[in-house]
Amino acid sequence: MRVCGRGAFWLVLLAVPALAQLTPDQKQANLASFESVWTTIRDKHWEQNPGGLDWEAIHREYRPKMEATASTEAARAVIREMLGRLKQTHFAIFPAPVYQALDSSQDGDGWPGFEVHVLDGKVIVTEVAQPKTNGEIKLGWEVLQEGLAPLISQLEADPAIHELQLERAVAARLTGPVSAAHVIEFADETNTHVTRLVKLIPPRGEFSGFGNLPPQPVWFESKKLGNTGYIRFNMFLDLMHVMTEFGEAVQKCAHCDGLVIDLRGNPGGIGGMAMGMAGWLVSRPGMRLGTMYMRGATLNFAINPRTEAYGGPVAVLVDGSSASTSEIFAGGLKDLGRARIFGTRTAAAALPSVITRLPNGDGFQYAVANYISEGGKPLEGNGVVPDEEVKLTRETLLAGHDAVVDAALNWIRKQKDTR
Amino acid sequence: MIRLLRPIAVSALVGAFAAAQALPKAETILDRYVEVTGGKAAYEKHTRETMIGTFSLPEQGLTGKLTRYAMAPDKEYSVVELGPLGKIESGMSNGVAWEKSAILGPRVKSGDEKDQAAREARFNSQVEWRKIFPKAETTGSEPVNGEECYKVVVTPPTGKPETRFYSKKSGLLLKSNATAVSQMGEVAVEVEVSDYKNFDGILYPTRSKQKAGTQQMEIAITSLSLDQPIPSEVFELPAEVKTLVDKLSGK
Repeated sequence: MRVCGRGAFWLVLLAVPALAQLTPDQKQANLASFESVWTTIRDKHWEQNPGGLDWEAIHREYRPKMEATASTEAARAVIREMLGRLKQTHFAIFPAPVYQALDSSQDGDGWPGFEVHVLDGKVIVTEVAQPKTNGEIKLGWEVLQEGLAPLISQLEADPAIHELQLERAVAARLTGPVSAAHVIEFADETNTHVTRLVKLIPPRGEFSGFGNLPPQPVWFESKKLGNTGYIRFNMFLDLMHVMTEFGEAVQKCAHCDGLVIDLRGNPGGIGGMAMGMAGWLVSRPGMRLGTMYMRGATLNFAINPRTEAYGGPVAVLVDGSSASTSEIFAGGLKDLGRARIFGTRTAAAALPSVITRLPNGDGFQYAVANYISEGGKPLEGNGVVPDEEVKLTRETLLAGHDAVVDAALNWIRKQKDTR
Repeated sequence: MIRLLRPIAVSALVGAFAAAQALPKAETILDRYVEVTGGKAAYEKHTRETMIGTFSLPEQGLTGKLTRYAMAPDKEYSVVELGPLGKIESGMSNGVAWEKSAILGPRVKSGDEKDQAAREARFNSQVEWRKIFPKAETTGSEPVNGEECYKVVVTPPTGKPETRFYSKKSGLLLKSNATAVSQMGEVAVEVEVSDYKNFDGILYPTRSKQKAGTQQMEIAITSLSLDQPIPSEVFELPAEVKTLVDKLSGK
């Protein structure tokens, strides 16, 4: 499972003048980009005939159109039209300027000590850790930093941009070098504008890489909410640490009323970890989360039940930034009837996809496998639809509540009463 | 026109017949492999094997250490220590085929997967191929990296046949196409072996490149010692696997 996060956008792209007359080099770069896209799909798509199409015929149809284009925008439109013929998501062209917007995080790993989400087009504080500021920052406050509103408008207007990417681009605007101080303007609970001098702190967790994937900060937390276990981690990475912590948290909760696994904002990571974690929650042998179809191989995401698997109610929390392995885990457990899902529809980005840079500077995302959840539906393009849709709102956050966690706890309480 | 076609058809038939005749029997090829790699007596002199090497997934940028212990007649233990994935252990002992990893925990293999593990754990399986594969057939010839090879299809009592490619010139095995079975399903695996080296009178390939579906793996053997003492606990089932075996058997 490939991680589609900030790391995927670290390439620095050259902007190409959009409507200017193309130079011979630019025209050549556009043609090379077309060939790169077409060849990649021919060689790496999981179907021999991608999307059921005669891919050679597609080349014959679109190559002349490509040669006739007079601008980069026109060239991009031809490639997008060709990709559209696949009728599959995760095949996208990111125009160089948008790509730059996604990539334009500040240098450095420092973060402000609070997390934000885009709720109804506004950047809202959803979690406050340990900010070093000259005053308090509260849940539900709106971040009014310059540049955020146009960024959100630009990215929300592009259908190729997922909520996950939007959230990450916004969060990246609040990062910078550790110890750097930012003056950030907020709208508080009374919508009064207040400013805070926020000193950026080291990122939460430990940096962990996986092969060619650049190191990412990974953290894991588990605690008790009454007699319910609560587990949250930001990525399916740092396997040794996270798998061990997960197993220990489940074992400590053997007599809990229920278990809440919070995957909101979790973009995925190592796909196998979903199977491993499910093994702590499923005791029946022979179960699987779903099936992955690649060219030349079909892989069952089989669950290997642990002898000490937890048998009580399990709630999984998701949102539009829960992607990839998070969706495989949540969708599979939902399909097996083993977990109840709370929150909002997931990113629908469950396929292992790769983002590369094309010769003309645009970004090209393509999927290399199809994944069908155990219920028989692809997660790709559909996502995991919660059993109980619960949205975070500024109002509940200002009241000090996480409405999604509350809904899960209520359900677990009802399960206990029923038992 | 008919006169022109007839000689072609006849020569084609003769050619096909000659080609069929030229193919040696599978048992000749498989026995020749034993001979050219040291001979039956050299194999049967040994009862223990310790192999150390590297295991890598080049596309993912992952490299780790591989250690494998084997003991006659059918005991085996392997461990791959693959950086961020931790240890992936597997073994076959006293009729139990098992696997244990940080990601999936302990697991006991069954069915075709267990049978495959048992075949792989068989010591000196090259010499004992008749006991492992009831059927072996030469099906043609094909080059592997430019070297002409005989294609031999060996069929186990359970599971799918495996196609092996033996060099016509040297008699060495250069490639095999098989189906790997695991709880994740069946995956076609192509293995190319090379760099044969002599260890105590037996030639072993020290490099292998494997393609399993879209995944590529490479193994390089750095040391192989025969008949060195192996602590008996190496082949004992790990505690978690024992617990699982007891649970599965209803103890």
